[in-house]
Amino acid sequence: MLNMSEHSDRNIEVHKFYNGAIFAVCVLALVFQAFLHKYGRWSELIDLPLLVTIYFGFSRRNPISGMFLGGVIGIAQDALSHDNPIGMYGIAKTIVGYTASSIGGRIDTEHPVSRFGLIFVFFHFHQAILVITQRVLLNHSARFFSWQQLVDSLVTAAFGVLLFALLDRLRRSS
Amino acid sequence: MIDLIFRRPIFLLAIVVMAQVMLLAYQIKGDHDVRLIRYWAVALITPIERVGTWSTSKVGGAWSGYVGLHNARSENNNMHAELDELRIRNRELESRAAEAGRLEAILKFRDEHPEAQMLAAQVIGSSADPTSHTLFINRGDRDRLRVNLSVITSEGIVGKIVEVLPNTSQVLLINDKDSGVGAMFAGSRTHGVVKGSGDPEPHMEYVVNDEKVTPGEAIVTSGEDHIFPKDLPIGTVLAANPGNPFQIIRVQTAARLDRLEDVIVLLGQQQLTPLKSAATADANPSAPEKSTAAPQN
Repeated sequence: MLNMSEHSDRNIEVHKFYNGAIFAVCVLALVFQAFLHKYGRWSELIDLPLLVTIYFGFSRRNPISGMFLGGVIGIAQDALSHDNPIGMYGIAKTIVGYTASSIGGRIDTEHPVSRFGLIFVFFHFHQAILVITQRVLLNHSARFFSWQQLVDSLVTAAFGVLLFALLDRLRRSS
Repeated sequence: MIDLIFRRPIFLLAIVVMAQVMLLAYQIKGDHDVRLIRYWAVALITPIERVGTWSTSKVGGAWSGYVGLHNARSENNNMHAELDELRIRNRELESRAAEAGRLEAILKFRDEHPEAQMLAAQVIGSSADPTSHTLFINRGDRDRLRVNLSVITSEGIVGKIVEVLPNTSQVLLINDKDSGVGAMFAGSRTHGVVKGSGDPEPHMEYVVNDEKVTPGEAIVTSGEDHIFPKDLPIGTVLAANPGNPFQIIRVQTAARLDRLEDVIVLLGQQQLTPLKSAATADANPSAPEKSTAAPQN
């Protein structure tokens, strides 16, 4: 399902991964995100499922696979949250996955500084979609920006640079 | 149609997003819950979480056990060191308590004799010669001490000053063989001289055999030596035996000469009011009056 690079009409470099690596990483990201909540506020600073969505979007560079991967991760995150309606994170991560895959072939996503900036932007993009969804569909009062979100985005971006470097090792050399 | 979707993935994105929006609307509008999706997600994730929790618990337990074992030895050593320190501290406190008791006795003695000029002193050493019964105190010429001043405790007399240095003085104890103190029985008022014999206990000499002397009888200073004021306690009779020409009377000193730490130096020889210990000894029924009976064996 995810290996759809043959449908791309552009000649771009597509990274491939070892069998099961994407599935395992996504599950582990969800597990860690749920598991680390038990150990305090610091784990909430980092959105691991979002980082995984962005990373595989950048690497696969296929909007359709990125979209579905983001959607599945988001829905699973909704399902594990117990109080979110299914689809809230799903919509946000579907769009993020699609967007990340779309721009992955257009700009450099390998340099750490570039990765830091992109993760920072995608974090707030993801947050904006969530807020819009909450306001429009759920009629909740959610803020577009807070200083805490800024801190969270910086921490997530810094951690994401390290995580992306780690995940690069899962790439299969072609 | 499918080909159009894959050529223009934005359409697929719109469809997927719309589907999720409708799913959201379904949940919100009808207050329904999509239990199946939640069930699948939980069923997928919770076994891994359970393994993670179990692993974390085991690793954490093993680690804390290892660290605990590793720390136990150093902790044990620390506790031993702390115990030793506390023992030393305890000894210090006991010593201070004893010192406080001695100082209290001196203070009490001073209060009981406001007429006497006296100076408290600490014993700082003793003679290196085992046959010589002398000690050193921490007062000297700078404290206006001079030779032949009497040294006492609240229990009784100790000796006299025989050497004065700027900051220390040497005291000849009453059990030294060169010492002699004018003495008398507190009850009978029979006079004699308490002299050192080289033994721990001094002897009272020049008491005729006809004098009735009973063990426990109190002996006080007579003041005839012009060193010790009259009626200070010297000790009690330990044993009395007939001798030639005088009785041999062993005296148990009132002051503990082998455990002296704080003493009083009397700066004059004025008469002191009788001490309580002497008064107690006076109450000895065996010596109410001067007796001419032969000493007991």
